[in-house]
Amino acid sequence: MTVDSTSTVADPPPPPGPPAAPPRAAPSHAARWSAIAVGVVLVGLMAVFVAGLGGDSDGPITASPLDGRAAPELAGTGLDGGTVDLTHYRGSWVVVNFFATWCPPCVQEHPELISFSSRHQAAGDAVLLSVVFNDETANVASFFAAQGGTWPVLVDDDGSAAVGWAVTGVPESVLVAPNGIVVGKIKGGVTADALDGIINDLERQADGG
Amino acid sequence: MNRVLGNAGVALGLAASVLGFVTVVVALVQRRHDRIRIARSYAALVLGGAVLAVVAMQRALITRDFTLAYVADNGSSLTPPLFNVATMWAALEGSILLWVLVLAGYLAITVVKFRHRLDDRLLGVAVAVQLAVCIFFFGLLLGPANPFRSFSPPIGYDGPGPNPLLQNHPLMAFHPPMLYLGYVGFTVPFSFAIGALVTGRVGEGWLVATRRWTLIAWGFLTVGVIAGAWWSYEVLCWAGYWAWDPVENASFLPWLTGTAYLHSVMVQERRGMLRVWNLSLLCATFSLTILGTFLTRSGVIESVHAFSSGSVGPLLLGFFALVVVVTVGLIGWRGDLLRSPGRIDSPLSREGAFMVNNLAFAAFAFVVLLGTVFPLVLEALSDRRVSVGGQYFDRMTLPIAVLLLFLMAVAPVLPWRKASAETLRTRLLVPAWVGAGALVVAVAIGARGFAPLVCFTLAGFAGGSALRQLVLAGRRQGWRGLVGRTNGGMVVHLGVVLLAVAYAASASYSHDAEFTLAPGESASLGGHTVTFLGTTTEERPEKQAIVASIQIDGGDVYRPSLNRFRQAGQLIGEPSVRPSVIDDVYLTLLDPPDETGAATIRVVIEPLVSWLWVGGAVMAFGTLLALFPGQRRRRPTDAVSAPVPRPVLAEPDVSPARPEPVEVS
Repeated sequence: MTVDSTSTVADPPPPPGPPAAPPRAAPSHAARWSAIAVGVVLVGLMAVFVAGLGGDSDGPITASPLDGRAAPELAGTGLDGGTVDLTHYRGSWVVVNFFATWCPPCVQEHPELISFSSRHQAAGDAVLLSVVFNDETANVASFFAAQGGTWPVLVDDDGSAAVGWAVTGVPESVLVAPNGIVVGKIKGGVTADALDGIINDLERQADGG
Repeated sequence: MNRVLGNAGVALGLAASVLGFVTVVVALVQRRHDRIRIARSYAALVLGGAVLAVVAMQRALITRDFTLAYVADNGSSLTPPLFNVATMWAALEGSILLWVLVLAGYLAITVVKFRHRLDDRLLGVAVAVQLAVCIFFFGLLLGPANPFRSFSPPIGYDGPGPNPLLQNHPLMAFHPPMLYLGYVGFTVPFSFAIGALVTGRVGEGWLVATRRWTLIAWGFLTVGVIAGAWWSYEVLCWAGYWAWDPVENASFLPWLTGTAYLHSVMVQERRGMLRVWNLSLLCATFSLTILGTFLTRSGVIESVHAFSSGSVGPLLLGFFALVVVVTVGLIGWRGDLLRSPGRIDSPLSREGAFMVNNLAFAAFAFVVLLGTVFPLVLEALSDRRVSVGGQYFDRMTLPIAVLLLFLMAVAPVLPWRKASAETLRTRLLVPAWVGAGALVVAVAIGARGFAPLVCFTLAGFAGGSALRQLVLAGRRQGWRGLVGRTNGGMVVHLGVVLLAVAYAASASYSHDAEFTLAPGESASLGGHTVTFLGTTTEERPEKQAIVASIQIDGGDVYRPSLNRFRQAGQLIGEPSVRPSVIDDVYLTLLDPPDETGAATIRVVIEPLVSWLWVGGAVMAFGTLLALFPGQRRRRPTDAVSAPVPRPVLAEPDVSPARPEPVEVS
């Protein structure tokens, strides 16, 4: 049983508010100053965002669970029937590109891969290694015949390479440094310029530090 | 065909938004307010354009029209029907399309609801603001986020389908639309806030209208956020529901400021105070929805479920900057003129409690925002990449959450203006006993630890306070006592109490273990026995599933699985949960069986998690109750001596028969 003592005490109307003080004795600028303060903070925040957007423009490289570790084993039969082995390319940057012919962004990035490959073919400082992801070997062979591209292509029949390399979807390109350490990956399609930019940045960092 | 229809719809929507905006602004500038009425036709055209675009997209998805790049990238002939519909919001472009549909819908409802007052200047500004927002989002659809780009598919082409995680659970069809109804819904109160700032009219009936729109948006957002947590619990194998991920924070931030507004607006209604603060909260809420969209769609922050597409980022940031410049500028320019002269008589009063509530919600929002953007700030300043872990958020928000629970117990019994110790003592007696009872029960069933026990006690205290209010209202008015803002709000409080208890219990007392079991073997954890019966492999059109059969406590069999989706090729686990009131048993299959048939499973015992979903439903129900008009509060001029049948039970703070003097400003 709840009895509110106030219900009887407060029966007469409550006393009026504070005695008639002049409501706006001194003009206050609280709202203005608050707005200015908030505005300044937000301008700073937006500068940070702009920096964040700019920083990402030279390549959408993201962290990979393999970062900093030795590249997992990657060897097997190539598209041409020969052997493909990642360890043969120690000393060069390797872009391990997981792709499939049924994936539109993979088809779209292919010309970029061709130009990246041809840029570095002479110097040999960077190579491409494509891994077929969940696709028929015949489809891939006819795709390369039609579109071009002469770099090694590994057939990954059981998907073990994709699992070992923590691939979450195609296309995905994992970047392996000349010392055989994974340094990051790019989800989605790449461009030749973006790949070069990332590699140059990483080389500069390695030189500087 | 679909491409043409879709592009036509987007173009129609954009043209109607631009023309409508220009018409309304010209009418406002020339003070020809009768012309604002034309906005109705433009709103209809905007809605028509949005509907046309959505119909075209759905048609393309259903017919698997791979000549649309969006369908080619995200659709698949193997996707089941429900998820095929939901594919529209499975990627960036389609999600903006859903946004536009909801936005156009809210615009149409606004002009229909206020059709008799469309020549009002304040409403004109509001409609112009909504049309401006429409222009921006239709512009996104026509530019960088165009879902109707063309693709020429090779013969026999089939798409990869949406991300496999998005086609595991029916909640995926439900959670994003709810979230968007909430997110986008805040555009309406924001537009009215801008209208009030521009016209300088902060009182009148607009307040009530705005409050109800905010409540609708808030209710949808609540359901959307909790449905998202539920989805994450049922689909991702980590046995959790909230990880302070940037995307989660992006949906939580406007919820916090919106909640603050829903409380402080009552101070304005009753006492005429906090006008500019309330307008600022509405502006902040809307700005945070845009900021959240920017953070999650631009790729500046890494998150488990951010869409990756850089091209809309700069535009969203520009729009956010525009919103900030307009709102901060307006508040700085007009704010001091609109502020009310009143002040709070005593901190120990309902309005005093609402003030503390608002400070707590603002602090909460600040802590979450800081944690979300801190990695960006640090990276900009020092080029270091960090991520802010859940620990920061848990530690920082715990004291605020405890304060809010305490306020939830005390504030509803506080009278306006000033409370006496005697009032508090009598009114808090029952809630305090409930709180003490909750503590005793919790300790008796084995709960330990300072933070969770404080939480259970305060939750009992707050729950008791809300129940007391509902019982009193029910005795006085019967079932009608549940309807209306105050008591609907108390039902929402009960839902929050359930959430708080569930969060504290599941965060403090869950335990897990991994077992490698041969078929027929059993293992025990936390008083439950799981028996591994074996695995089977199921072939379905879109995936191959390795399904483990696990019997829990000798009863029903549950089937966690590992799914390999054909198109994407990913191996994705799907947990199986045995829910119960006391604890959930959460099973995941970690590895496929080896040659002997033994498989590794993870078992998590999660106490009280199902209370979260019940709490969410209670909050949604309470929001519905609060939307219905309660018994009208009498006008100050009405006779005070209305018959009060049982004065013993009448309570000054809620009784409809007891008018408060309303400050007329």
